[in-house]
Amino acid sequence: MSETTREPDARQLATEARDRVRFEEDALALSDQVYRVARHLVGSREEAEDLMQETYARAFRSWQSFTPGTNLRAWLLRILTNLNIDRGRKQQRTPDTQPLEEGDYFLYNKLEASGDGVSDEERVVERLSQHDVVAALSEVPHDFRDVVVLVDIGDFTYADAAQILDIPIGTVMSRLHRGRRILKQTMAESAVGGEA
Amino acid sequence: MMAYDPCAHCEEMMQPYMDRVITDAERAEAETHLNECTYCRKRYKFEETLRQFVRQAVHEPMTVELKTKLAGLRTPLQ
Repeated sequence: MSETTREPDARQLATEARDRVRFEEDALALSDQVYRVARHLVGSREEAEDLMQETYARAFRSWQSFTPGTNLRAWLLRILTNLNIDRGRKQQRTPDTQPLEEGDYFLYNKLEASGDGVSDEERVVERLSQHDVVAALSEVPHDFRDVVVLVDIGDFTYADAAQILDIPIGTVMSRLHRGRRILKQTMAESAVGGEA
Repeated sequence: MMAYDPCAHCEEMMQPYMDRVITDAERAEAETHLNECTYCRKRYKFEETLRQFVRQAVHEPMTVELKTKLAGLRTPLQ
């Protein structure tokens, strides 16, 4: 603070209060969308709820570090993913014996082959249950899942995801590709089982 | 050298195509192939349906209790 800084006058205080209220309202209006992502970055609803409360508490405390006009949803998720890591999320290593990854057409091929001749691409998806999908997503290793959740569920761009996770955009692309493949492979296993 | 397999190439292009991060020329090339290849067309269509299905399947709305708690974290008005 420079010595010439004057005490804030009443008008400044009023402006600040108004900006803060607006910020808090904007942040709360995004909470459904933030939760949508948060819920699948962690394993349980309880964890997601704790994380949401910590995130909003921190966001409301440090609202002045948000630059108006920039992406508030991304800013909130940046806080949330940092808190998630601070909470001691274990650094998860991809198993050394990672099975050979299948291609992008793998899940469809499996579902089509397992069916009773129905290969309608819009009906084939019905062989997957909601449970298969939720369980499969939770099995994708963290590093890959974070990116899949941000882009495919949170609708963030590669650039936003890179900023939120503080990783290069190329890493976002490769993790996304790999994460989606792992997800599809896991869904194929639960829907069709081990048979070829 | 392996023979060029247009379907294998199309499979590789699926993610960039769906995410709209390819050039116009690449998009046109993929679409030309998709127009004439039922095998790839079905798989692209399936991918689109699948992405939508996944989004819906994992949707779990926030509880009213949590919403209330978040609103309670606001700075009290003076």
